[in-house]
Order: sequence, then C-alpha cells, then structure tokens
Amino acid sequence: MIDALRYEYVRLRTLRSTYWLIGIAMTFQLIMSIVLAAVIAQSDSFGRGNDAFDIIATIGASSGFAPLFIAYIIGLLGVFSTGHEYRHGMIRATLTAIPSRTHVFAAKVISTVVISAVAALLCIVIALLSIVAFGLDFPSTRALVNMTAGTLIFTALFSLSGLAYSALTRNQTAAVALLMLVPSIVEQIIRAIVIVIKSASDEPSSDGGIMNILKYLPYDAGGKLYTRASLDDLLSFLGFVPFGAVGGGIVMGVFVGALLAGSYALFIRRDA
Amino acid sequence: MALIKAVGLGKTYGSTRAVNDLSFEVHPGSVTGFLGPNGSGKSTTMRLMLGLDRGDGATTYDGRTFAELDHPMRHVGALLEAKPFHPTRHARNHLRMLAAANRIADSRVDQVMEMVGLATVAKGKPKKFSLGMGQRLGIAAALLGDPDTLILDEPSNGLDPQGIQWLRSLLKHLAGEGRSVFVSSHLLQEMAVLADELVVIGRGKMLANGAVSDFISHSGLGTVEVRTPDGATLAPAIEALGATIVRDGDSLVVSGATAEQIGEAAHSVGARLHQLATRDATLEEAFLEATGLSEEFRGSTGDLA
Repeated sequence: MIDALRYEYVRLRTLRSTYWLIGIAMTFQLIMSIVLAAVIAQSDSFGRGNDAFDIIATIGASSGFAPLFIAYIIGLLGVFSTGHEYRHGMIRATLTAIPSRTHVFAAKVISTVVISAVAALLCIVIALLSIVAFGLDFPSTRALVNMTAGTLIFTALFSLSGLAYSALTRNQTAAVALLMLVPSIVEQIIRAIVIVIKSASDEPSSDGGIMNILKYLPYDAGGKLYTRASLDDLLSFLGFVPFGAVGGGIVMGVFVGALLAGSYALFIRRDA
Repeated sequence: MALIKAVGLGKTYGSTRAVNDLSFEVHPGSVTGFLGPNGSGKSTTMRLMLGLDRGDGATTYDGRTFAELDHPMRHVGALLEAKPFHPTRHARNHLRMLAAANRIADSRVDQVMEMVGLATVAKGKPKKFSLGMGQRLGIAAALLGDPDTLILDEPSNGLDPQGIQWLRSLLKHLAGEGRSVFVSSHLLQEMAVLADELVVIGRGKMLANGAVSDFISHSGLGTVEVRTPDGATLAPAIEALGATIVRDGDSLVVSGATAEQIGEAAHSVGARLHQLATRDATLEEAFLEATGLSEEFRGSTGDLA
C-alpha cells in the first residue's frame, strides 16, 4: 500500500494540472476574497464576524445562492486521478508497477482526499488573511471550525465523486461532464419537477410528501455542510424541511460511498 | 533467472474465443518470439500473462504469479503498447513515478534513460516524442527494475533501422545474461535472427512452439536445387521418393526430399550431378504456411486501377 501511495505522490507532483488547478482555485479565492472583504469592510449593514467569514471563505456559497466554486475546480483533481489512466493509456503501466488493484484504487482515494482537503484548507487560509488585511472581525472558533470542516469535507467528497465518475465511465471527458452537470443541472431539473408536482397537488403546503426527495439530492444535501442560509428555505411553504449539516453530509457521503463502491467493484473485475 | 510458464491461457469476448487454451514456456537465457497474424490474440495473451485482463489459466514466473511478485518491476519488465504515458509529464518523471512504486533509485532512472538513448530528452515532454522515441521510453520502463524477465509487445514498432539493430543487440545481450525474453513482432526477418524459440498462434490457438530451426524445417518448404545433364533419367527416381519437382532450365527444384536422398537416387540411376544445393525456407515462408488459414483480417489488392 505504501508503494501505491508513493506512486500517487510522485504522480501528483509531476503533473502540471495539479499545480494549475490548485493555482486557479487559490487565485480565484484570493481575488474574490479581497473584493468581498473590501466591500464588507466599507459596509455598515453587513455583519462582520461569522457572517463575513462564511461569505468570504465560500465566496458567497454559504448564502446558498452560488455553488462552492473551488470544489468544482479542485474536483477535477479527482477526475484526473483516474481519468488520466484511461485517457493516456497509463492504466496498464500503472498495474504492471502495482499489480494490486485494491492498493491502486485505495491510494487514489486517499491521495484525492488529502490533496482536495489541503487545497480547500489553503483557500480558507486565504479568506482568513483577507479578513485580517481588511480589519474585519475574526470569526468565532466554533464558526471557524464548522465552516472549515464543512468546506473541506464537501470538497473532498466532491472530488471523490469525480474520481468515481471517471472510474465508472473510463472516460475523462464524460466524467468531467457528469461532475459539472449532475450537481448544477440534473439536481436542478429534479428539483423543478418535484416542485411542480407538489404545487399542483391538492395540498401544496402540507409537510413532506414528494418534497422529501429533495432532501436526498446528494450534492444539494452536501451543500448544507457550508451553507448557512439557502434557496431551499424559500421552499418551506411547500413543506420542505432540508437536512442540517450532519444529515446533509451523511447523504452526500453515502452517495459518494456508493459511487466509489461501484467503481471499485468494476475496477477489480474489468480488463485493464 | 525466471522460467515463464503459461498454462491454459484463455480469453473470451462475447461469443468470440480470442485466446484458446494456450500453454507454453519461456526459458531463461533465450529470446522467445511470439508470432501470429493481426488479431490472433498476441497482445491479449501478453495482458493475460500480466494479470491485466481477466481470463482463464495462469502464468507463473519461477512459480509465482505476477500479482504475487513483490515489487514486480524488479522481476518482470513489460512493454505493452506505444506511448503509455501522460503527454506532458517529463520522460524522466514518468520513470521516477514507476520507480517510486518499486523502490527503485532515481539513479537507475538516469541509467536506463542513458541506455535507451533518451538522456538528452529526459526533461522532454512525451507528446513531442516520435513513435520510436516513445518506444524507447517504454523499453526504458521495462528495463527500470533490471528484471530477469522481459515481456515486450512489438518493441521495434517505430524504431529506425539503427534502433532495430540496437534493440536486437540489447535483447540478445540480456538473454545472454540468462534472462527470459518474450517478444512479439511483425518483423519476421528480425525475429529470424533474434529469436531462439518461437510461439506461433493463429486465431488464439497454438500453431507451433519450439526452436526456430525446427519450426522452419517442419514447414516442409525447404528445397534442393539439382543441376544435371541427365534430368530425364533422374526425375522419375526423385519422384519415386514422393518428392515434387519444378523444372527451371537445366535445373530441378525439388521439394520433399533431402540432398542426401537425391544424391543416393542419382547414384542408383547413374545420373551425373553438377550441383546439389539445399535452400532452407525462410521464417516468413514458414510463418505464412503455418498461419495461412488463421488470418483474421485478409486484404486483397482489389482493382487498384
């Protein structure tokens, strides 16, 4: 297993995409953190403690009005970890260097989690530095820990889903498309259909019912790890009560776990 | 020194039996050529040997399967396809990555880069490499762990004549050190001078397995050229041996009889011989004879006009 991790370590270090993806995420975070911190610093109405940190750390995603952009960038590292193997015919070279497919797969999962979490952590650090630079109030320890943990876990799970998509499809382009489209379009379409059905029902304001489906949209549910308010709140009149951070995180974790289990089973069984 | 022992290798794709119950051995100190027409199952067989494809049978290297080898690149070096590397990762880094998984020192990476003639482009991006340079990098990867067994699928693809000569010398040298070398190639002339033994397959089935010289002699395609002023006398005596004769001027080209048999026949009928020369079949002729009915993809010159 250690050998497989050594392989992954060198693989990541010697790949330009590792650097430019993390670079893009951090550059985006830096620019937007500075912009948001500057705006908030001049505002008399915007909360300056935890609220300001939440908004700057997630570049607005904590409001529920935007996706966690860095996750979409860093998530590509997960796609590439397996996608490159198939796109560039590396898989056979990899498996002749490390014949244990379990070790290869596990090393990719571990390296994806670590690099995604580290990249997300760097983005949080940039947000904190921006807060300090513009003289905003530091968040409370609890808020800092919750937001940091939520962002790191969501980003790591998001990247792992990218890894699983590319292992399932053995097609890097398809995996990138799935990673971008499932959270941002597929889930939105499901949401729209569910809302229409509920609105057209005899009791549109009743609790639960078909609206419970929305609680289990994996990426939306996982978003509760870092959102502090959400568009979902607007759906409360339709009887929708979303999970909290823990419940949402579990929903996304189970979804990603199922994707990984399926892709591992196929990885073990398929021809290389 | 590793004995490769493949037993009952088989692979089915849908309703097609691509490899069917192949068993053979590759002995230390020899180069064993792996021949077969396009689509005959050579690459699939090699992948089965390395556990990359799921199928029937087993291949052992001194009694252990590939998956059971600790740091396998130190035991078995493999080249399976052209350019199996990320296009922008430096050539040297590609090898460093493989080396890291097998606890091989970076100094060995530099050594094999030098050995295959890529030292000057060690920091080059493989996407700019020619097919031949890519093959050299693949060969470097196969040699990385200084393995006692090499499995190479079409290693001469894309190499220039100097490169092919270099590869021949290298593989001969490695076999001379007692290593087992199993190599597929479409270059039959090259294989004729390189290989000591052959495994020949067609449509996934074993057609021949043994020494190159045996394969050629068993093809029955060798001829004996006989120059004689007494052709009319000698010909019936030769045909009585069961041989066939093609007349070529004052010469008889005889198939199916040895020079010794023809000499004896000439003596018995009192025919004078001016020349008695044997001509062995080439590996190409023997191969085409052996695989004639096993071609998966048969082309035609068609109506080119």
